[in-house]
Amino acid sequence: MNRTLIALAGSVVLLVGLLLVLVGDSSRGSNTGHKSTTGTANSLVLFCAASNRAVMESIRVDYEQEFGTSIQIQYGPSQTLLSSIEVSGTGDLYLPADESFIEIGIEKLLIAEVLPLATMRAVVAVPRGNPKKIKVFDDLLRSDVRLVQASPDMAAIGKVVKKSLQASGKWEQLAKATVAFRINVNDVANDLVIGAADAGLVYDAVLSSYKDLEAVELDELSTVISNVSLGIVASSKQPRAALHFARYVAARDRGLLHYEKHGFVVKKGDVWKETPELTIFAGSMLRPAIDATIKAFEEREGIRVSRVYNGCGILVAQMKTGQHPDAYFACDKEFMKQVPDLFPESVDVSQNELVILVQKGNPKKISSLKDLGREGLRVGIGHEKQCPTSWLTQNTFREGGVLKEIMANVSVQTPSGERLVNQMQTGSLDAAVAYLSNAAGAGDFLDAIQIQGLECSIAIQPLAIAVDSPNAHSATRLFQRLCSPESQANFEAEGFRWQIDRKFKDGSIVGDSAIGDSAIGDDEQ
Amino acid sequence: MVQSLATQQLATQQLAMMSSSDERIADDQVKRLGQPRQRSDVPFFLAMGGLSSCFILLIVLMLAADVMFTSFADFRTALGKPEIQAAFKLTVMSCTIAAIASLLVAVPLGYLLSRYRFPGRWIVDTLVDIPIVLPPLVLGLSLLILFHLPIFGWELERWLRDDVGFGVTYQWPAVILAQFSVSCAFAVRTMRVTFDQIDPRAEDVARTLGCTRGQAFLIIAVPQAARGMVAAVTVAWARALGEFGPILVFAGATRMRTEVLSTTVFLELSVGELNSAVAVSLIMVMIAAIVLLVLRLLGAGPAT
Amino acid sequence: MIELRDITIRAGKFSLENISLEIPSGQYSVLMGQTGRGKTTLLESICGLRKIASGRILIHGVDVTNWSPSDREVGYVPQDLALFPTLSVREHLAFALRLRKQSAIQIKHRVDELAALLGISHLLDRGVTHLSGGESQRVALGRALSFRPAVLLLDEPLTALDEATRHEMHSLLRQVQKASQVTMLHVTHNSAEAEALADRRFVLEDGKIHWQAG
Repeated sequence: MNRTLIALAGSVVLLVGLLLVLVGDSSRGSNTGHKSTTGTANSLVLFCAASNRAVMESIRVDYEQEFGTSIQIQYGPSQTLLSSIEVSGTGDLYLPADESFIEIGIEKLLIAEVLPLATMRAVVAVPRGNPKKIKVFDDLLRSDVRLVQASPDMAAIGKVVKKSLQASGKWEQLAKATVAFRINVNDVANDLVIGAADAGLVYDAVLSSYKDLEAVELDELSTVISNVSLGIVASSKQPRAALHFARYVAARDRGLLHYEKHGFVVKKGDVWKETPELTIFAGSMLRPAIDATIKAFEEREGIRVSRVYNGCGILVAQMKTGQHPDAYFACDKEFMKQVPDLFPESVDVSQNELVILVQKGNPKKISSLKDLGREGLRVGIGHEKQCPTSWLTQNTFREGGVLKEIMANVSVQTPSGERLVNQMQTGSLDAAVAYLSNAAGAGDFLDAIQIQGLECSIAIQPLAIAVDSPNAHSATRLFQRLCSPESQANFEAEGFRWQIDRKFKDGSIVGDSAIGDSAIGDDEQ
Repeated sequence: MVQSLATQQLATQQLAMMSSSDERIADDQVKRLGQPRQRSDVPFFLAMGGLSSCFILLIVLMLAADVMFTSFADFRTALGKPEIQAAFKLTVMSCTIAAIASLLVAVPLGYLLSRYRFPGRWIVDTLVDIPIVLPPLVLGLSLLILFHLPIFGWELERWLRDDVGFGVTYQWPAVILAQFSVSCAFAVRTMRVTFDQIDPRAEDVARTLGCTRGQAFLIIAVPQAARGMVAAVTVAWARALGEFGPILVFAGATRMRTEVLSTTVFLELSVGELNSAVAVSLIMVMIAAIVLLVLRLLGAGPAT
Repeated sequence: MIELRDITIRAGKFSLENISLEIPSGQYSVLMGQTGRGKTTLLESICGLRKIASGRILIHGVDVTNWSPSDREVGYVPQDLALFPTLSVREHLAFALRLRKQSAIQIKHRVDELAALLGISHLLDRGVTHLSGGESQRVALGRALSFRPAVLLLDEPLTALDEATRHEMHSLLRQVQKASQVTMLHVTHNSAEAEALADRRFVLEDGKIHWQAG
């Protein structure tokens, strides 16, 4: 009826038109990912720190070309991205500016697996040509040098620098000489480019995208190291696809090449394989405790794990003749010691002890090893050569000074502890010496009597990763899985005692040398 | 000039007719009349102009600095990148949608708030202003939480994605929603003030003539609000263009998908591409200038 | 006839209680009283723009207490005229008729008729924003009369006019009332005006209506 209304109506038409254009655009685009229907072409969502944008885009192009799965990358500040993951419960992968955010994510149970990609070192950034001639630490304190840093409260690099320099007593001076504390490393670098500062503390990796800046390395900063790591979001609906992509990024002949090209100092990653194959050698007594965990790992990761369960003696022999598994879970430390060149470092995971198994109710009133030497008792032990228990058993008898007596009563030597349990069940034995774990589940008809006072009756199971495995990182993740609290529950249900009591960081054990790193043989530290 | 001469003549005539005791008074009067004013208006204009020009100078200098920092080549490169072109397109479209949607909501809402005293009006008033005072990141976070909050196992986002067929978070509707949340608040404010200034009596009379409330609104109030509506659309569009925080948190910044020019600047800055960032900023300034100019012309057109 | 039976109106802190009033049909009635004592409020209640707290309003015997203003067929000229700034004079006069979906010919006929009666034929295609006081009055009057209402309410229509125009308007108003036989209620505080126009006079004083002979 009047012009204004006509104008309003016109704008409604415009509104609808634009909406249709946008809808048309988005459905025409190759992204089918926003429909959460079935289909393998679902896209993965990666929350990526803006600083990694350049390298991630180039990796994404290659990956999409090779595999067709589209990767949708959300860029943003690291902490904001983590909060988004927390609130929205979406997302498959998380790549923050540095690993401190991964740690926060793990604490909040938001991040599951972590794949280390590269290392970053703190350096002093100066304009190209180093006009202020900054060479040593004290140069930073000069009055004609405007120094900026990332804030220790907000940026990870700030925290690490502060901690490191506080240890050497130089933090106070540096803080006083700092003209401004910025929110993150990029702001520091931007200040230098614009000319608002003369020197700034940044990660060396950041400088790869700033061609007008160069790095000055200082000894005092040599301990300030941080990792760039890629995390899998715990609530991801496509963990296998996410891990597939993550492994691609972390592979030394795929993603890490891009990282190197963009100026990062990369870790030694796994060789890329569509479906990696791991081999783990494990003592047969460990089977009930670890098989379920390994199966779950296979399922989640899409990795095939060949499990070789056998007597440790046999396994060691195989290894000495040239078989190189990626991981070895031994029945006892003694066996691990026999292959030091393959597995120089290991972690004690669980503990198992020899016990005397007797019929329920202990009708023969056996209370110690000595009693086994009594007349007329039928005793079963593991076969010396075949059974994992036997060697330990023999040792224990020897220690207890009852070897001869008990051996006289031994009516059966079986290849495995399970056989002994079976024989007990059928009543053909009065007593057997086996591992506590062998007796798990047989509590209806068996009782177990501890062997007191003999240290060597306790076996400790160590786990180790091969140093030169081409799948070292995948093996490490299996390792972490086996050392996780879920695995612990399985072990304890089987009668083992858990040995690990320290918290895990992404791949390394706090307090000890980083098993993950040293097993993989990092070379740049 | 002619008048003062005539007045002078009159004064002289009167003088001649007055008695001597009045002569002194008349003398004074003539003296005062005959002298031109000593006080000029120049200081006034200097002071006002001086203050205003400080601000304008600041803006001009900032823009000049930006222009000098970047080079034409950078500009060209920035415009050439497909991501930036996509961001450009999305920005213009989403800002327009958000602005128009804001207007369509703001006109009735502004009218209601202006004309009717209903219970709880002050609550609605306050609520409408909240997006303006909320820190942008909080707004974005709140939107994110809203769409993902499980209410007895039901989640808004999941329902939209699976049942309705299109998701919002991290897709382009999220960009528009984030922009709309803030720009609508500004638009409502503008429309409310507009309707406050329109005489409600006219609508009353219209009703006595036979209009329903709705007809009175459409036929009488709305046409009078034309300039206000242009102002509302302008402010809404401008606000939507400058929106960054909520978009980043709620819609994410995915290249070719939810990247708008404001998030482009952020992304470019995060990788140290300062030149690119400034170039994009200048593009935004240009878009804003063009749109504001167009709207201003539209607003000045049907002068009522 | 307009009948107000025992009505109570509350307007903010101010209220009119238990007012009863009978305004005779077809006659020119004037309501007087000091400014700010509720005369406008009373008018607003009659045309339906203000809700009454209790009582009944009847127009020609019909109880319109709960009717909306658009149904009451009451013409209203407020004190500030409230012309429609975006419409021309012609559109003002045609407004009520178009709402009632009359044909174009009927509307043209009526508009020309009204314009002639009010002496504004030469203004028909002008906008209303730059009319003089007297011209605006006539347009407002024409607008209110266009649909031949049963009642016409005028709220201090002549206060802002100069002496000469006021006299003109007096005769015009009498003429219009006689011609249309509409029940007129004219509010003013000017007794000379009341004298000149009224068939019946009412006074609103201390919340009570007194009536006097015309």
